[in-house]
Amino acid sequence: MIQLTNITKSFGRHQVLNKIDLTVQKGEVVVILGPSGSGKTTLLRCVNYLEKPNDGEILIGDYRLNCKHASKKDIYQLRQKSAMVFQQYNLFKHKTALENVMEGLVVVKKLSKEEAKTRSIALLEKVGLGSKLDAYPSQLSGGQQQRVGIARALALEPEVILFDEPTSALDPELVGEVLAVIRKIAKEGITMIVVTHEMGFARDVANHVVFMDGGVIVEEGTPVELFNNPQEERTKQFLKRITPELNYSI
Amino acid sequence: MGAPFDITYVFGYLPKLLSTLGMTLLIVGGSLLVGIVVGFLIALPRLYRIPMLNTLARIYVSFFRGTPILIQLFLFYYGLPEILKLAHLDISKAPVLVFVIITYGLHTGAFMSETIRASVTAVDRGQVEAAYAVGMTSYQAFTRIMLPQAMAIAVPVFSNLVIALLKDTSLAFSLGVMEMTGKAQTLGSLTQHFIEAYISLALIYLVVSMTLEKLLLIAERRLLRHEETDSTGHRRFRLEQKSSYRRMVASVDAGKGGTEV
Repeated sequence: MIQLTNITKSFGRHQVLNKIDLTVQKGEVVVILGPSGSGKTTLLRCVNYLEKPNDGEILIGDYRLNCKHASKKDIYQLRQKSAMVFQQYNLFKHKTALENVMEGLVVVKKLSKEEAKTRSIALLEKVGLGSKLDAYPSQLSGGQQQRVGIARALALEPEVILFDEPTSALDPELVGEVLAVIRKIAKEGITMIVVTHEMGFARDVANHVVFMDGGVIVEEGTPVELFNNPQEERTKQFLKRITPELNYSI
Repeated sequence: MGAPFDITYVFGYLPKLLSTLGMTLLIVGGSLLVGIVVGFLIALPRLYRIPMLNTLARIYVSFFRGTPILIQLFLFYYGLPEILKLAHLDISKAPVLVFVIITYGLHTGAFMSETIRASVTAVDRGQVEAAYAVGMTSYQAFTRIMLPQAMAIAVPVFSNLVIALLKDTSLAFSLGVMEMTGKAQTLGSLTQHFIEAYISLALIYLVVSMTLEKLLLIAERRLLRHEETDSTGHRRFRLEQKSSYRRMVASVDAGKGGTEV
């Protein structure tokens, strides 16, 4: 289970997150929606401390961290509980697809090279890249790179995988292959928090949808509740703008 | 104006000059070592913006970049013993070579620090975040992810530095170190065949520079092998490599948001 309590973050005088509370059950897929600047990416980055919250508490699995008194060691511990898939893929450019997936296993999890290799190959096959093991990121398409990124995250067997707009940087025709992989691993019961603008995806993969605006959670619920019957005015506005095709009837 | 030109002297001088090539290369190698260490020491406070040290590093760099190497040589050779005398340290008996290597080392260090700084900032920040997200410590992220890529970016600039340094060592003669240029001067004055001596000298410098350049180019190719896509072949020209360098620079900060760690 992941539990965020009272997470607060400001950049200078600008408050980005204002006392956020969020609970994610094991095996749940939570999608965070919201306009840009609403703090959804910052919230996600706070979960693995790429962004340092000013206040609050983070619980992942059995590890609890108070953001006010977090030492470097605590942060490394916390980061090992989660993995992240980035908008810009952020693959290690000087390493092959296989080495990218192996890196964390060898360096952080201290697995033997052989063991790491077998595991990484299996994961790359799972995301459909069994034939690209020795390709460098520059030789892969955006969609393929992002799938390597997903394999890299899966390899660490984290409590939760954080997806930061995983398809926003992709060509429209490559979005499908990446979403298909995310769907597939969602079905396996891996806990995920996803920031995305793909409404269709959110609708049929999420167990829980969170709508954020202005650094607070405006509304949350099941996809059916949130999409079909939003309670807050701000949510209605946002959904109307982002799904204009629902505005007319035939 | 010396004896009449005689081409045979050019060939005659070659082996004599080559006997001092070792000294020239010793100065180059020694000051590169000093330079790399100093370069890192100067670059790190600037990269991590450590308040006081950052300013000191900037003053250091502008001094060594802004004054001629010849003057730096004189300043260190004559000035350093005087300053250290105040601290009751007598180094006036130390061999000249030590002063030469220290001066060239500090000089190269200034340029090296700028190269290191530029290359490290050119590596995409997102990859460091990815390394942290995987669970690496900042030291692991620096040595395993940043450094290998920064080195690849730095090689073209680094090879310019090495070649400039090689040529600059010709000034060490002014402090009386018998390296190649010094030897050529001496040979010239002995026989009055100055031009021949200098032609011979130029030839050696040229061959050594070209060899160094080739070696560093091989190193660069090796370090940049991840950049080669299927469409680009194996033979690439320097100009293209420069453009790939710019591409890497241009992709800096493509990600979203800033980080504090």
